[in-house]
Amino acid sequence: MYVGVDVGGTYTDAVLLRNGAVGATAKIPTRSNLLESVLEALDIVLKDVDTRDIKRIVFSTTMITNLIAGKKYDKVALLLIPGPGMNLKYYDFKTDVIILSGAIDYRGREIVPLNEREIEEALVSLAEKGYRKVGVVGKFSPRNSAHEKRVAEIIKEKYPDWHVELGFQAGPQLNFPRRAVTTFLTCATREPYNTFVNSVKEALAKRNITAEVFILKADAGTLPLENSVEQPVETIFSGPSASTLGVEALTPPDVTEVAVDVGGTTTDIALILDGQPLLSAKGARVDGQLTQVRTLAVKSVPVGGDSVLELAGEEIVFRAERLGPAYCMGGPAPTPTDALRVLGLTSLGDEGKAREAMENLGSPLGMSALETAEKVTDLVVSSITNEIKKMFKEWEQEPAYRIWELLHKKKVKPSIVVGVGGGAEGFIKRIAQELGCKPVTPPYAAVANAIGAAVARPTLQLSLRADTEQGYYIIREDGIQEKISRHSFNEQKALELAKERLLQKAAGYGLKVAPEEIEITYQEVFNMIRGWSTVGRLYDLTVQTPGGIALRVEMGGK
Amino acid sequence: MQDPGNKKTGLIFFPAFDWAISPTHPEREERLLYTRDQIFEEGIMDLPEISEYAPVLAKTHDIARTHFCVPRVEDRITEAHLIAAGAAILLAEEIISGRLKNGFALVRPPGHHSMRVVHGNRGFCNINNEAIMVDYLRRHHGIKRIAIVDTDVHHGDGTQDIFWHDPDVLFISFHQDGRTIYPGTGFADELGGPKAFARTINIPLPPGTTDESILYIVDNLILPILEDFKPEFIVNSAGQDNHFTDPLGSMKFTAQGYARLTEKLKPDLAVLEGGYAIETALPYVNMGIILALAGLDYSSVLEPDLQDLRESGEISGYIRRIVETHLKNWEKRDEAFAASQTIKGDFFQEKKRIYYDTEGISEYRSEKLRICDDCPGYLTIETSASRHFDSSGTALCISIPFTACSSCSAEAHDLYEKTKKTREYRYMYLQDKPQDIFLSYDFNTGKELRSEG
Ligand SMILES: [Zn+2]
Ligand SMILES: [Zn+2]
Repeated sequence: MYVGVDVGGTYTDAVLLRNGAVGATAKIPTRSNLLESVLEALDIVLKDVDTRDIKRIVFSTTMITNLIAGKKYDKVALLLIPGPGMNLKYYDFKTDVIILSGAIDYRGREIVPLNEREIEEALVSLAEKGYRKVGVVGKFSPRNSAHEKRVAEIIKEKYPDWHVELGFQAGPQLNFPRRAVTTFLTCATREPYNTFVNSVKEALAKRNITAEVFILKADAGTLPLENSVEQPVETIFSGPSASTLGVEALTPPDVTEVAVDVGGTTTDIALILDGQPLLSAKGARVDGQLTQVRTLAVKSVPVGGDSVLELAGEEIVFRAERLGPAYCMGGPAPTPTDALRVLGLTSLGDEGKAREAMENLGSPLGMSALETAEKVTDLVVSSITNEIKKMFKEWEQEPAYRIWELLHKKKVKPSIVVGVGGGAEGFIKRIAQELGCKPVTPPYAAVANAIGAAVARPTLQLSLRADTEQGYYIIREDGIQEKISRHSFNEQKALELAKERLLQKAAGYGLKVAPEEIEITYQEVFNMIRGWSTVGRLYDLTVQTPGGIALRVEMGGK
Repeated sequence: MQDPGNKKTGLIFFPAFDWAISPTHPEREERLLYTRDQIFEEGIMDLPEISEYAPVLAKTHDIARTHFCVPRVEDRITEAHLIAAGAAILLAEEIISGRLKNGFALVRPPGHHSMRVVHGNRGFCNINNEAIMVDYLRRHHGIKRIAIVDTDVHHGDGTQDIFWHDPDVLFISFHQDGRTIYPGTGFADELGGPKAFARTINIPLPPGTTDESILYIVDNLILPILEDFKPEFIVNSAGQDNHFTDPLGSMKFTAQGYARLTEKLKPDLAVLEGGYAIETALPYVNMGIILALAGLDYSSVLEPDLQDLRESGEISGYIRRIVETHLKNWEKRDEAFAASQTIKGDFFQEKKRIYYDTEGISEYRSEKLRICDDCPGYLTIETSASRHFDSSGTALCISIPFTACSSCSAEAHDLYEKTKKTREYRYMYLQDKPQDIFLSYDFNTGKELRSEG
């Protein structure tokens, strides 16, 4: 049995999957205490279940989102080692920043050494300002983390109780400003997140639940609860991952589809291309700042079933605000749900009240209730379909750096539009029609997010970079650096090494992965020529355990 | 064209990581690898002032509008060339349409050594990205006056050749003295064809010239000339091999110098040309150019091994003299110029021998420009190339310029039709720029191909 729990902004959903079918579902309003919400939903779906039969529980929570949005964390300072290049005045890291001397280049070579006295002075000034949490971030630190590590050592010596996060671990991709932001957020959220994880563990223990527990990430993979504290920021924005995986689990495999999650005041759109949820080319934007957090390419349109409709001159417009439920369900103002009710596209609420809402809205423009309802539906549908078309276009226009890639870019067209979430049903037919697709509203659409959480698989990534001229390789995520032989090292060896390291890491996480299951997601080899002869090779590899979903859910349920 | 507002700088980064002339050639996969690392690590693509575009492929017709590829366009290029030219065209269109402030096609392969006729690769170039883009703009956007400033260490002999007779395209190139470097041309007395005097300006520089002298030339020669010429669009052939660490050049430019140059020149579009110090120069020079185009502070973009670079007083003296000479040439630009001894009747004739270093090809050309009072005149080129003593036969190329008068156009078409009936050549081409038609005729098969824009 698999259990999925998705704590959303408004509702907390849970499902129990038994033999590939939905066994129980729960939907409760999310409380201010997230743990309470999790447990309440969990208790509903686990009623009458022998906890020993549960194989896996996956949580998707807004924990980190709430922490960051509410700035409910201790203050964090940044010690940056940018070296020459971009002027840092263009960045606002929204905290105290001290620039340290030192520089590393693109191949991980030291250009400028650290100045230890300067570091000590920086620490004194941070201590005076009351900082106890510090992110240390160097430019090109994923290529050589020695400077960051040395600064951490000095901090440990002088201020052993400080909490330090290093850039090469928090932000291992090439992008220094994003690395700084990601490191800041990691440092800020780690401790409160840790507390949350511990209380989840306690609560589960109290219920005698011994199943493996995972946390869903923004990239639709999961991490064991235990290990998720290493990269807490990765669990941000897991809600859209949950619904997207839910759509994948509820529809046929290998299709190109659009998942449309119509909520109260926002609609989330995600793309699944040939059965693979589309990842954003760069990292997530968190609280207005760009990060290195891997995330699905999800777009939000500020309209939903409960959006408030009003007139702006001669135009009907919607406000991204919820005053209450739809008018037809006793709410105060006309909403898109009322329009759907008038058109017979939903059976929610009272038809008479819905007509009244549309009439009140449209009469100043001389429109009947039916005309108004049509107009409103068109408005909502076009704002969603325009965004969908834009997403496909953006995907097609993503830069490519190789001829092969550019020539093999294909135009993709979705074949189905899948509606999930409370308000989806009524709009999905129209959206699909507009895009020339088949509309699908699967059973359990309302808890697709929890289903998505339940079927999510753990994913682990590992990146290896070898520079045979300098005679070493590094594992980017761990900052491990080891010597290699300049002459006998080759691509095959690089790959074996990366796979071996990944398997070790997986074992450390308690995950069973077969070597043949490992996917290579990035592979780059360059000959380094100086003069007219080859002096070495550069290998860059990323391998990961297979992503995707653990199982498909029977359409009919049980 | 400059209308900064809050428009962005468009960037197409196409390093062609899967293309090389040969595995150890300077023009190889690795060339822009460290530049990529630097601009990605600096987060350049995330800047609100920058907009990154994916390149598109140019059409073969876009190539044929500018070049005579023998025997056909498809035989002389690869997809990489279409992508590099397509990138320049795409950015130019965005700039002309007002969607971008300016742009940088950070692409390879380069193109400024490619001449009108293309028998193969010379100086690492097959087709001339900037010239193709310029002709595209003239055709599709009615742009007339264009300036191309070539800042590569090598003389932009291809671009010079293509616009030699064109009074509407100003070509300015500064480069290391041709007596000391490939391609051995670009001397101060190469000033353009009889109808385009001083629309070609060459500033050969002694080895060891520094930022200071270059910026002196920009301030005292290039900017005043541009001010007079009033181009609607400025292109920078942004070669980076003037850098003090370049293995092919012997100059003393820095990243700061290149950035400052860009800031002064304010090109609408910069297109990467050469630059082979792939680790010590390119990551920094490219970044300096991008930041300068975007109007951002580039003062901390410094090479790790930057030293105090000085030049001899002799160089500074020479620089002042050549600036004087060219300012005088520029003043005389509209006086009729014709070396009378070379003009026979209605035609101006020149013979050229062109060597293709990369492929060991020798090309012999005989060019005739129709001297016309109403237009720049059409041009005919007889060309034959031999590869290891194996001649490909002679081709006749006829080019009708954008601003041709109707009688020159008619005469050129007549010539094409008449020549078809002879068996003097192996191939014949007609490039009709005003009508945007390209004809090619194969004398062996009697087949004609026609393409229209
Ligand atoms: Zn060059
Ligand atoms: Zn004429």
